[in-house]
Amino acid sequence: MSEPRGLLTGEHFLMGDYAAAEGAILAGCRFFAGYPITPATEIAERMSVRLPQVGGIYIQMEDELASMNAVLGASWAGVKAMTATSGPGFSLMMENLGLGIMLETPCVLVNVQRGGPSTGLPTLVGQQDMMQARWGSHGDYEIIALCPISPQELFDLTIRAFNLSEKYRVPVLIMTDAEVGHMTEKVVIPPPEEIEIVHRPQVRRGDVEPDHFRIFRNGRTAFGNGYISPMTAAGEGYRIHVTGLTHDERGYPVMNARAHEWNIRRLVNKIRAHRDEIIQVEGKDLEDAEVVVVSYGISARTSLWPIELARREGIRVGYLRLITAWPFPDEQIRQLAKRVRAFVVPEINMGQMIREVERCACGHALVLGANRAGGDILEPEHVLNVIRQAAGREVQWERPTGAAFESAEE
Amino acid sequence: MPEEEMHRSERLKHLGYEPPDESDWVTGLHPMDELLRGERLPHIWCQGCGLGTALTTFIGALQWLEKNRGWDLDKVAVVSGIGCTGRIAGYVRLDSFHTTHGRAIPFATGLKLANPELKVVVLSGDGDIAGIGGNHFIHAARRNLEITVVCVNNFNYGMTGGQVGPTTPHEARAVTTQYGNFEYPFNLPYLAAASGASFVARWTVLHARQLEWTLREALTHPGFSFVEVIAPCSTAYARWNPEGRGLDPEGLGRRGLEVMKHYQRVGRTMHGTHPKDAEIRVNEKGEIVEIIEGKFLDDPKPDLKAAIDRQAALAEKWWLAEKKALDSRPRFPKRTDRVPRTEVQLGGFGGQGIISAGRIIGQAAAIYDGLEACFTQSYGPEARGGAAGAQVVISSDPIHHPHLIQPTSMIIMSKEAYSKYVPTLAPGGTLLIDSGLVKLREDHRQDIVTYGLPATQIAEELGNNRAANTVLLGFWTAMVGVVRREAMRQSVTDSVPPKTLDLNLKAFDIGYEEGLRQRAGGHPLVGEG
Repeated sequence: MSEPRGLLTGEHFLMGDYAAAEGAILAGCRFFAGYPITPATEIAERMSVRLPQVGGIYIQMEDELASMNAVLGASWAGVKAMTATSGPGFSLMMENLGLGIMLETPCVLVNVQRGGPSTGLPTLVGQQDMMQARWGSHGDYEIIALCPISPQELFDLTIRAFNLSEKYRVPVLIMTDAEVGHMTEKVVIPPPEEIEIVHRPQVRRGDVEPDHFRIFRNGRTAFGNGYISPMTAAGEGYRIHVTGLTHDERGYPVMNARAHEWNIRRLVNKIRAHRDEIIQVEGKDLEDAEVVVVSYGISARTSLWPIELARREGIRVGYLRLITAWPFPDEQIRQLAKRVRAFVVPEINMGQMIREVERCACGHALVLGANRAGGDILEPEHVLNVIRQAAGREVQWERPTGAAFESAEE
Repeated sequence: MPEEEMHRSERLKHLGYEPPDESDWVTGLHPMDELLRGERLPHIWCQGCGLGTALTTFIGALQWLEKNRGWDLDKVAVVSGIGCTGRIAGYVRLDSFHTTHGRAIPFATGLKLANPELKVVVLSGDGDIAGIGGNHFIHAARRNLEITVVCVNNFNYGMTGGQVGPTTPHEARAVTTQYGNFEYPFNLPYLAAASGASFVARWTVLHARQLEWTLREALTHPGFSFVEVIAPCSTAYARWNPEGRGLDPEGLGRRGLEVMKHYQRVGRTMHGTHPKDAEIRVNEKGEIVEIIEGKFLDDPKPDLKAAIDRQAALAEKWWLAEKKALDSRPRFPKRTDRVPRTEVQLGGFGGQGIISAGRIIGQAAAIYDGLEACFTQSYGPEARGGAAGAQVVISSDPIHHPHLIQPTSMIIMSKEAYSKYVPTLAPGGTLLIDSGLVKLREDHRQDIVTYGLPATQIAEELGNNRAANTVLLGFWTAMVGVVRREAMRQSVTDSVPPKTLDLNLKAFDIGYEEGLRQRAGGHPLVGEG
C-alpha cells in the first residue's frame, strides 16, 4: 500500500460517477481496469487521472471480459481493485464475476444502469439489471448489491462496498443508474482518518507454515472465522492454487457432489450468515403506515415527493428504502406485511424487485408496482396514483402544479 | 533408525523433504518434485500427450533461472485458462491461477500491473489463447506488458473431445470436421509478431532442450514474449489425422509416439525466419508436411513500467497544482435566509459553455452558498455541436426530484433552445436571452418577463467570445438573485482556465452590472419588470 497522498477532502460539487471514483480511492482502491461505456465512462476518466496521483494503476482493457479479469488478477496481487460499466458491459462481466465469486476475490463492480435490453438507451436511466445483478452469472451464489440515491451516497457506498468485499471476500456490486451517476451535487469528503476502512485479513510471508495454509478454510482461524478465510497474495510464498472449478479448502479441483456441496454452501452461507450485518435499509414513518413504498436508487429518491403529497391527502404512507438490494431484507418486509394494507414498489423497469416484495409479503399485503421502461425517472403523479390505489382511494390523473410541488418540498 | 528401515514418509523427512499432506502423497522423489504439487498427481493428461514435456521444460527453465539467475520462485505466478493445458496451473507448486476460458491473459495483466515484482507466465492451449481469448492475446502483445505467454498448440479442442479449432490445419480432420477443415488456421507467431510481441518462438515438444532454452530466454525477456509449443494430442487429433497413424494404426498408446516421429521428419529449425514465413505447411489431405521452428524474433522494446513511472511523476505535479487551487478556495459566511425550490434551465448549442455555466451555478449554490443544488445536463451526441441543455435545482431543503418540474428562470443562447425550452418556463418566470443570437418570435409569451443582453458581442469585445456564458451568468445572478454574487464569482474562478480568469471575471461583472441596471430600470424586452 502506498503512502496516503493525493487524497481529496472537503466539500466538492461532484458528478455521481466522480464521487464513486473518489470513494474508491479513499477506500484504498489502487487498481482500475475498464472499458468505455456510457454512462459509466466518467468513473474511468476520473480514475485515469486520479489513480496515478495516488500511486495506483489505471488501465483500459480491450473489453469488459478482460476488465473484470484484470481486476481479479490485481486483487490476487493484494491490491484493492474496481471496475465500472453499464448494461452491455455488465452482461460481459457476468462470466468473470462468477470467477470472482468462485475464487472469493474482493473487488467492486459499479453498474451505472441505463435502459436495455441490448444497446438500449445508452444515455438514459434504467433500473433493469437488478435481477441480473442477483442471478446474472451462472450457478448458485449470494451477492451483495448496494443502491445509492445521490452522488454523496455513491461516494459513501463505494467505501462501504470495498469494506464489505474485503470483509467477506466477495465481489460487491454498486447498482446505481444513469440519473445518479450523471447528477452533480455537493459531496462532503471527510478526512481519511475519519473513514472506516476494512482490509482483507491477509496472510503474509512467514505468518504461517505454507504447507498448513488453506486458502478456503472453513471455521475459526487466527485470521478469520466461519466461512470467511484469510487471503494471501501472489508472491507471498504460499504457492497457492485457485481455480474456477469446484474445489476443496486448498483450492484444488475436486469433481464430486460432496465437494460441490461444501463449496456452494460456503459461498452462500458466508453471506447468509452475515445478513444482519450486511443488510441496510432506511425507514421512515413505518410505525403507523397503511401503505409502504419500497424502493431503491433514484426511484426511492423521487418517491419522497409523492409520499409527501399522499400524506397530505391523509394516506398513512411509510417509506422503506433498500440501500442493499441484495441480500434482500426478507425479514423487514415479512414483518411489515403482517400489519400494512399494501406495498408500492416504484422502479424503472417492468417489475423486478417487486417479485422479492411479493415473495416476502406472502399474500399478507397487496403489492403494487409503479413501473416504467427506462429513459426517464418516474413521474411523481404516477407514483402518487399507485399509492392512492394501494390505499383504496380514487386515482386522479392530474399533474401536480409547480405550487403544489414547492409546498411539498418545504 | 537406519534409513532403509524407515517408513517412506519418515525417509522423505530425513532427506529434508516434507510433503504437504502425506496421506495423498503418491510420487517418489524426483528432481522436479519441489515445483510439482505431488499430491495432485497423477495428472489428467493422456498417455502420449505433449503436455508432460511442455510442463517439464517449463519447470526445467525455472529451476535453471533459480540456480543461475537467482530467481525467487515465490515471485513466479502461473495463470492458465480452460482446457488440457489449462490444468498446468494445478500441477505446478507456484502461485497458480486457473481462470475462465480464454481469460488467462487479462488476469495475468492485472496481477503483473498490480505487482510488477511478480514474474507472470500464462500457460494455456491454442483454443484458449487463439480462439476464445484471441482478442486478449493480440492486445497483450500490442501492450507489451512484461508477461510470458506459452501456448501449447495441439491443433484441436482436446478436452472436449477433439473439435476443430483456430489452429486446425486446412483440410485436417477433427470430430466436427469429418470431411476436412474448410477454414484456414492462424499462424500464431505471425499473429503475435504483427500484434507487437517483441519475442516470438516456436518448438515442437520433440525439441525439448531447445524449448527449455527458449523458455529461459522468454522468461527473462523485457516485454511481452510468446512461445508456441507444438504438442501431440494423442487421443483426439492424432486419431483422425495421418500423423498419428504410422506403425500403430489402432493402438491408442503409441499415437503420441508416432506424432513425435512425424515431428522429427517434418520439423525444420530456422532461427530468425520472418514470422510470416514461419509456417506449418500441410498437403491436400491436411497432413502436416513442414513445421518451421526456432526463435523468430527477439527485439526488446521498452516495457510499460518506465512509461507508467514517468507518468506518475507528471500526475503528482498535476495533483499538487490542483491541491493548491483547492486549498486557496475561500470560505463564505453561511446564508441564513431560506431559499425555496428554484429551478433554472440553460439552453444553447454545443461549444457555448452551457453545461459549464449550469455547473458554475450549481457549484456556487452548493459549495459557496451552502444550499442544496442538483445539476443535470443533456448528454451525448446532442451536447457535441447540437443542442445543449443544463438544468439546476437549488433549494434550502433536500432535493428529492432532480429534474425540473417548471423552471422559474432561464438562460437561452440559441434559437433551437428558445423553441425547446421557453414553453416550459413558469408563468411569471424570468427569461434571459443572448439578444444577439436569439430573436423573439412574434407570438412570444407575454406571461413571462424577458430580458436580453448581447452577451456574445460583449464577450467578443472583451477579446474572447467563449466568455459569453459568463456574461449571462453575471446577468442571471443580478436578475434572479438566488445565488450570491461572491459565490458565483468564486465558482467562475474555480471553473475557468487560469489564463482566462481576468477576462471571465470582467465578463461576469459586466453582465452583473447590466443586470442590476436593467432590473432597476424596469425595462424588460417583454413582460412586467
